[in-house]
Amino acid sequence: MLKSLIEMNVREEAEIISFDGGTLLNRRLEGMGIRKGKKITRVSSQYIRGPVIVSVDGRQTAMGRGMAAKLIVKPVRNNGS
Amino acid sequence: MRVLLMGNPNVGKSAIFSRLTGSHVVVSNYPGTTVEYTRGEFLMENRTLEVVDVPGTYALEATNRAEAVASDMVEEGELIINVLDATHLERSLYLTLQLLHSGKPVIVVLNMWDEARKAGINIDTSMLENELGVPVATTCALSGEGISTLVNRLPEARSNGTVSKNGSSFWDIAAEITGKVQEPSKTESVPVKKGLREKMDRITVHPLWGPVIALLVLFASFSFVAFFGDLLHELLYDVFNLAWLPVATWISGMLGGEGLIHGILIGDLIDGAIHFEESFGLLTTGLFIPLAVVLPYIFSFYLMLSLLEDIGYLPRLGVVVDALMQRLGIHGLSVVPLMLGIGCNVPGVMAGRMLETRKERFIVATLIAIVVPCMAQQAMVIGLLGKAGIAGLAIVYGTLFLLWIILGVIMNLFLKGKATDLLMDLPPYRVPYWESLAKKIYMRMNGFIRNALPYVLLGVFVVNLFYTLGVVAFISDAFAPVVTGLFGLPGEAGAALIIGFLRKDVAVGMLAPLGMELDQLIVASVVLMVYFPCIATFVVLFRELGVRDLIKLTVIMILVVVAAGGGLHLILQATGF
Repeated sequence: MLKSLIEMNVREEAEIISFDGGTLLNRRLEGMGIRKGKKITRVSSQYIRGPVIVSVDGRQTAMGRGMAAKLIVKPVRNNGS
Repeated sequence: MRVLLMGNPNVGKSAIFSRLTGSHVVVSNYPGTTVEYTRGEFLMENRTLEVVDVPGTYALEATNRAEAVASDMVEEGELIINVLDATHLERSLYLTLQLLHSGKPVIVVLNMWDEARKAGINIDTSMLENELGVPVATTCALSGEGISTLVNRLPEARSNGTVSKNGSSFWDIAAEITGKVQEPSKTESVPVKKGLREKMDRITVHPLWGPVIALLVLFASFSFVAFFGDLLHELLYDVFNLAWLPVATWISGMLGGEGLIHGILIGDLIDGAIHFEESFGLLTTGLFIPLAVVLPYIFSFYLMLSLLEDIGYLPRLGVVVDALMQRLGIHGLSVVPLMLGIGCNVPGVMAGRMLETRKERFIVATLIAIVVPCMAQQAMVIGLLGKAGIAGLAIVYGTLFLLWIILGVIMNLFLKGKATDLLMDLPPYRVPYWESLAKKIYMRMNGFIRNALPYVLLGVFVVNLFYTLGVVAFISDAFAPVVTGLFGLPGEAGAALIIGFLRKDVAVGMLAPLGMELDQLIVASVVLMVYFPCIATFVVLFRELGVRDLIKLTVIMILVVVAAGGGLHLILQATGF
């Protein structure tokens, strides 16, 4: 089942399916290694609608909630961790 | 020849830059933009090469201003040193492939080689050389390992026009190459060790502990600044008395101890002698306050801030405060210009350039100019209020904090334009590389000395001229009704507040003998902190924002001064403080 990054639980792992934001932002995320097909793990969240921290390829990135809501992922089951 | 140092942010590019270049580095603006870059020189085979530290970029696709500059610079460069993070090869290779595609001669540097080894990542460099068709060097910029090999291999740098997409994207090629040369082929399968670093990583952005730690870190940092700044100030005070006092006294004697020139250069003699804190001349108090009082605190502050930045804490602080900042129309990374502004508003306003939209840059500049007190303002207010106890200072800082929030929320509501979401890599915590830390502090201090100090001295000159010509008394009379009616201050305070725009030290010197009550001192302090910090900030705001936004900012500032000063006066009176 697909969901957005915001709906992921902390430490949950998923695969990036798509990004529903603008082309420019999409390219920027791609450049940072956050792109389709990559495994993404939610590392932490902040209270009062703060940013979401994710980990892709062992590298941590903080992104605002607006952006995180547009990142669509597919949870990975039994990832063995 | 111009050599470009390029790579993703946080790959240790600046440390390599520091290793390559000597002490002489220059910060410049890329023509037609406000993006800054650093350049220096180094010697190779008796030739002087210019090395440019290009702003960190993930791609050459111009998705933001820094990237646009980076891709423009590639056109002008003659040789590219592409710095990669060996612990994240695949991600770093994306930019490498784009650089190779440009046709420029490239040499690839795998930095953080030692960390990759420790993490169990093995990269076959000769195979990588074959795949990329350009030389590959390995370095550990922190220890300096591999730097000399890199320098020796620079002439081998060559272009590789053969990188073609063949229908597949650069990402596919990057993944393919990584799969061939790296063992294990995926970094994500490398087990993350649960060391101190990872614990720090987690706890500093924890939803509950993150803000608590942020407050503790800030408290500790400012305590350090106060302590270390004090120490340096005492030291410089002695230096001034030992080395400069005899010279100034000699000049005073040569000028005959009085007259127009003496008044401007030396000022008043206190009991027949020069007093660095009270004479108010260009060569006495005018030099003493910026160099011996303000500079020590600015230095301590930038030392502390740069350390927090290089350790990797500042981005985490950005994450913790992001939710609050979003409500002010800016994102978490704005803590960098705002914090810089606490040292001196001038570098703070200049650092606001890193923000993407005009709205964000305006909000940050306005907040810095109006509610972020610089070290000079704080020294002045503490001098004025400190003796009366901590309560007065607490009210002043509390008022500033409230104004900061209210002003930000209002600007966010009424200003057109979009705020951008936070998006940044969080580099792992690391031990700072001291040489690039020193270079960074040096450049920030230089920002104060070159961009602010000349205006401070100009202000001293103008004020002393005004004094001698009787302009100050005229201003004092003109503003007396406002100052008395609105703020409840003695009429003479008006001149001090106006003069404070040019000379903070004189403002204190004029306010101190007025014998004001505590509530009056509090109102005067808030007014002094809220309005323009100084003429240097005014000039830099004009340069950064342009005349229209500067006028807008000035109007906002006057409204805030009137509302805050007047309101505080009424509240303090009503509560019988």
